[in-house]
Amino acid sequence: MNLKMDTKSVDGVAVVHCSGRIVFGDEASFLRSKLKEILAANKKIVLDLSDVSYIDSGGLGTLVGSYSTARSAGADIKLSGLGQRVRDVLQITKLVTVFEVYDSEQKALAAFH
Amino acid sequence: MAVAPISNPGGESGPGAFPSLVLVQGSEQRTLPLIHSPFSVGRKIDKDLVIADPRVSRDHAQIISENGSYWVVDQGSKHGTYVNGQRVERHKLERNDLVEFGARGGAYVIFNPIHPGSNTAREFLSQISGLNISTDTTDLEKLTMFLEAARKLNTTGVLDEILVTLVETTLKLTRAERGYVFLKAEDGSLELAAGLNSKGERLTNDQTFSNSILQEALSSASEFLVTDTSQSLDLAGRQSIVAYDLRTVICIPLRKYVVQTARPAQGSGEPANAGCEIIGALYVDSRFASRDISSVSHDILRAIATEASQLIENARLVQAEEAARRYQQELAIASSMQQSLMEVHIPEVPFARMSGRNLSCKEIGGDFYDATSTEDHFAVVVADVCGKGVSAALLASTLQGMVYSHLVAQLPLDEIVAAVNRFFTQKHLGEKYATVVIARISRKGELEYVNCGHVPPLLVSQQAVSRPQNGNLPVGLLPEASYEAARIQLRPGDRFIIVTDGVTEAENARGDFYDNDRLEEVVARSSGLEEIFTSVANFCGGTPLNDDCTVVELVYTG
Repeated sequence: MNLKMDTKSVDGVAVVHCSGRIVFGDEASFLRSKLKEILAANKKIVLDLSDVSYIDSGGLGTLVGSYSTARSAGADIKLSGLGQRVRDVLQITKLVTVFEVYDSEQKALAAFH
Repeated sequence: MAVAPISNPGGESGPGAFPSLVLVQGSEQRTLPLIHSPFSVGRKIDKDLVIADPRVSRDHAQIISENGSYWVVDQGSKHGTYVNGQRVERHKLERNDLVEFGARGGAYVIFNPIHPGSNTAREFLSQISGLNISTDTTDLEKLTMFLEAARKLNTTGVLDEILVTLVETTLKLTRAERGYVFLKAEDGSLELAAGLNSKGERLTNDQTFSNSILQEALSSASEFLVTDTSQSLDLAGRQSIVAYDLRTVICIPLRKYVVQTARPAQGSGEPANAGCEIIGALYVDSRFASRDISSVSHDILRAIATEASQLIENARLVQAEEAARRYQQELAIASSMQQSLMEVHIPEVPFARMSGRNLSCKEIGGDFYDATSTEDHFAVVVADVCGKGVSAALLASTLQGMVYSHLVAQLPLDEIVAAVNRFFTQKHLGEKYATVVIARISRKGELEYVNCGHVPPLLVSQQAVSRPQNGNLPVGLLPEASYEAARIQLRPGDRFIIVTDGVTEAENARGDFYDNDRLEEVVARSSGLEEIFTSVANFCGGTPLNDDCTVVELVYTG
């Protein structure tokens, strides 16, 4: 398992710091279940991906799936701190137009207020 | 070639407890039971199986039985013995093995086939009961023989027949009037699985048996329960016993034996059968008017109790195995269909040519490409379906079919991908989606293409490489996605190259990606796909690919 997720709460927003790789399999399942768990308690989430080195197609599917689930439940997930690899993937797939993407955790948090 | 009938030295009856050989010769086939060991095969007339073919040696081979398994042993034959096409000296036989002696392609035998024609369990068992057993064989021995033989059966739907025969045998052994087998359903309730009276007539669940005794037997820890109602005032009052004049009831709980790693300590107070799960019950009874069965030997009841459970378990295993085998077969068919569907037939048109290559790193890959043409257009689709295995293959086939039919209908590309996206998102396939590029060249050199989530294609025009930036969301991810196609006017000799991310993300030992710069560089100086793949392979060194690599090149020839 190559994904770690640490959650903290900042002014009512759940900030989830991910590090490692988001790939098809255990990592993607972990991301899915963790986000589901957080969504049950909090409608505002910042997903900080600054330490995510790689995301594959399966991981991307999970990310979009969780995002859609959140939106339909009236919640919001903002992304922050994309590394080059993740940014490229979101660019190629045009998913940057779907997600709200911020340079840093602070900017993402500020957007909630 | 003539085959002499099998000699029958012992005079025992036909097939049954022994595995069989099915001899196939042209359109004829015959079943030969392996009634003794060694079972000899050869051209000589004294062999158990005589094959009158000059390529078969006089003493050709033997089939011998050792510790429950069967071996074919070549006896130094001139032309050899073959099992499933492989020449063997000594080979352990598995069910359905095809054995040939000397002549390949002539007569052959199949060892103990899974579907031995009409040799059903019932027939099998009737043959057993017809066996000439010496008079001093006890009932218990007969039962054990029967159970042993029945266990060797491997026929579908065997459970039902086993159960009926089990009741039949139990009725014979106990001389009771009626017998039932109940099996525990998934919800824990007992369901009637087979019922039979001593005349051999099937009984249904008419609720005339004693349910209370059944329940009592199940909750008790004993191996069986014999109840003589005339001896017990308490029982005599029970409803069914009174209503149906039941006199004696024998109820045997059927337990699945669970192997225990450690024996429970003596006197620990645990019931004797703590490690056993109840899978059902065998119940026989007789009425007042008829004979008393309470004196049936407890040895027999004990034997039935243990053997019957094992028998049912085995029959269930056989059924599960058969189901799994069928499932495997279905999967194999699906896989070969998938491969045929994914086979690319490149249409020939005078104004364009295409070449494509796919390097798959898993059995069923996520990448595919396909080409189709109409009178004035040539179109190619390259897709990378998320995930691997059967689910990815299903998605790929559906995607391919939808795109193909829309291309033939000459719809605009943005409408095609929008339709596919709608279809996939409406079906709620979870997180399954695909990245797709569709490119279509017209006779006049107009290129229309739509890129949904792929790395940008490469356009090579007079040695200059560019990356047209049309980009859209993948298909199947978001229902509200909208798509835009792009158009480029090509000149004769222009090349349009589509790659999947397996190419740009191919890694070397240091973990570097092959990436776009190297790709553009090799594409600029190359004239075909081979050079691109060679370049990727050189870059990776020995590092295996972790994703499929597909490259498709479309050239407008004018």
